[in-house]
Amino acid sequence: MMMLQHGSTQLLCLTASSGVPLFTRGASKQLPFSVIGSLNGVHMFGGGQGVELSCCETEGGGRVVWRVFQDSVMLIAVSAGGQGGAGCSSSKVEEVRLQRLLENVWSCMVLVLGQDELTDVRNVERLKRDLRSCFTLIDQLLEERQEGILGHLTHCADSLLPPNPALLQEAVDGFAEAAESEFGCLVVHGRVAAATEKWWRLAPQEVVLLSALMRSLSASGSASCDYPVFLPKGSPTVAHRLLRFQLLPGADVCVLCGPTPSLHRAQSELVGSFWTPLVETLRDCLAIGERCLPGSVSMRPDVLAVLLINREARRSVSFVRTPTNHLPSEPPLPSKARCWELLKLFYIFSTTRYFAQEETLSVSPEERAQRGHHEDFVLGFSHQPLQCYLVTEECKSYGLQTPQHQLFLLTPLSVPTFALRTLATQTLSDIVAATGF
Amino acid sequence: MAQDAPSSGSIVVADWHQCKDSKEYFSKILHKKRRKNFGLLESPVMPPHVAVDTVHYKIFISGKSGVGKTALTARLAGLNIPNLHYETTGIETTVVYWPVKLRENGRVLFFRLQLWDCGENTLRRFDHLLPACKEQVDAVLFLFSFTDRTSFDDLSNQIAKWTGTSVKLVVGTKFDLFMHCDVPERDVRDFQETWNLRVLRVGGEVSDGLGDVAPLLNCLAENLWHQDCVTAGSANRRSQQDTGTLL
Ligand SMILES: Nc1nc2c(ncn2[C@@H]2O[C@H](COP(=O)(O)OP(=O)(O)OP(=O)(O)O)[C@@H](O)[C@H]2O)c(=O)[nH]1
Ligand SMILES: [Mg+2]
Repeated sequence: MMMLQHGSTQLLCLTASSGVPLFTRGASKQLPFSVIGSLNGVHMFGGGQGVELSCCETEGGGRVVWRVFQDSVMLIAVSAGGQGGAGCSSSKVEEVRLQRLLENVWSCMVLVLGQDELTDVRNVERLKRDLRSCFTLIDQLLEERQEGILGHLTHCADSLLPPNPALLQEAVDGFAEAAESEFGCLVVHGRVAAATEKWWRLAPQEVVLLSALMRSLSASGSASCDYPVFLPKGSPTVAHRLLRFQLLPGADVCVLCGPTPSLHRAQSELVGSFWTPLVETLRDCLAIGERCLPGSVSMRPDVLAVLLINREARRSVSFVRTPTNHLPSEPPLPSKARCWELLKLFYIFSTTRYFAQEETLSVSPEERAQRGHHEDFVLGFSHQPLQCYLVTEECKSYGLQTPQHQLFLLTPLSVPTFALRTLATQTLSDIVAATGF
Repeated sequence: MAQDAPSSGSIVVADWHQCKDSKEYFSKILHKKRRKNFGLLESPVMPPHVAVDTVHYKIFISGKSGVGKTALTARLAGLNIPNLHYETTGIETTVVYWPVKLRENGRVLFFRLQLWDCGENTLRRFDHLLPACKEQVDAVLFLFSFTDRTSFDDLSNQIAKWTGTSVKLVVGTKFDLFMHCDVPERDVRDFQETWNLRVLRVGGEVSDGLGDVAPLLNCLAENLWHQDCVTAGSANRRSQQDTGTLL
């Protein structure tokens, strides 16, 4: 399986019943047709023997993950290995990443096309053509382009905590109501800054998926949109309208609507009246940048990176500090991009080994029992681990969980290991005290 | 069919962006030599003693999938032009501000052109999108691609569907791919005569940003303004002071 470029992932989509290829994405060099056929064949063979093949590892460190959705579509992810590479990277980590990818890709397909078209395939050629409209989102998932966006992995909404949340909350609520919607959301720098209560009742992966769609629409620089969207959990067969408005570059508001109001009317009658009074508030919000936290939260200098999850609200904030002032005597700090990577790896490491997952993995209980992400030894625990740490050649990592939160923290190697716990608890309480997150 | 469309440059000053006196206006739509991206809550702001009216228009971009609607929209707005064809899966609107000087009295106006781009395949899958695009539309740009004969042949069908709207322009995209040109000059000329419609051409690298798009935007502005004068008998009907959205 060394046919793929190091570190790249290729995605294959076939019909589940007959193995007709529907599309392939990712990796500059496509796998030959014969390999695709074999990958499908071996899965089918398993099926014939009453075995569901879900994952395998190749000699070269590559991985293949299979999954059939709704008995109609088979997705296969093939990675060439070389991902991660940190001390905490294990084959399990890569498997979880790929499983998550397949779930998310399927959700994208439902979001754009609706479930009926995917499960009730009458005309394969037509389906192939229609599937092209999902490529924007799918490619975005494969590239994981934007640093600092972890929602695809955590299924918690990447959030930004604005300095003045009450005003924005009021505006989002009022705006959604005026647009005859209960679902409204303000996105700043690609992260949710405020949303209506009902928005948070959407399935977690829907919230994450809609955020991803908003980010891609926002990146195009367009002023407003009217997008038909199916909700993979809440409304897989009936499309809603996602109306999105770019208030300022980097700040977008959206609502999920029925047939009314029209985009034209919502834009000309509602956007200005609700949001013009808040221009300065929005600018303040944009000014906090990708730090995601208001200036009132001071971060200890020995914190390299943080991911904080509110388990009940299914939201997360995260940030990575730009590495600075490191002494020549010390080993070099990992780059910003590497910190994001390490944060993801440590998250998967902790949640597959020690921490409760039911909050962060969106599979049904039966599925979970079936596919069991936990490594066996954790199931043998009679208790629930609350903290864990890991020291690698690149950094030290500390995870801690409370009934409300999960915190994942990276520090430079220079921080003494015994100080990690205090640093983590302190960071958690600092953020919570200042923001109420 | 368009009745007596204004001849080019008869209403607005052509190539005004090259004149010295346009600098202070065009500088408002630029940022670090690139076009400025305005959010819906923003607009170009002139100093208080230079009062400029802004006139608002809605323009629909029509044409089959892959013809270059999204690319043209990005080009006109000075945004990044997509290299790959990703289908647009809904309506996306883009706002273009364009200052124009009227020939008749030297008056300057900001045209706020909101371009409505809807992916053709999605348009066919969902019935509610086309009516949304048609609502209070002021002009339609009909796109065909010089590399796709069928898109050119289909123009008459497309145009016939838009009887209510009188400002119509035809834009041929991918003019830069002359090696693959499938629509000879002669056919374009015949078409212009039959339909009495202007055909504009776009394609190729984006050069200095303004000279590239000026002919099309000026032509559009001219036609829209002319149309307003005809329907209202007064040039002031559409003008509205943008007090609400000035920052
Ligand atoms: N060389 C060249 N390529 C162009 C031009 N206009 C568009 N393209 C390319 O043609 C492809 C399709 O363009 P789009 O603008 O995405 O097509 P569209 O009309 O929006 O298609 P739908 O959204 O599916 O309806 C893209 O790869 C563009 O880069 C042009 O003037 N010259
Ligand atoms: Mg398009």
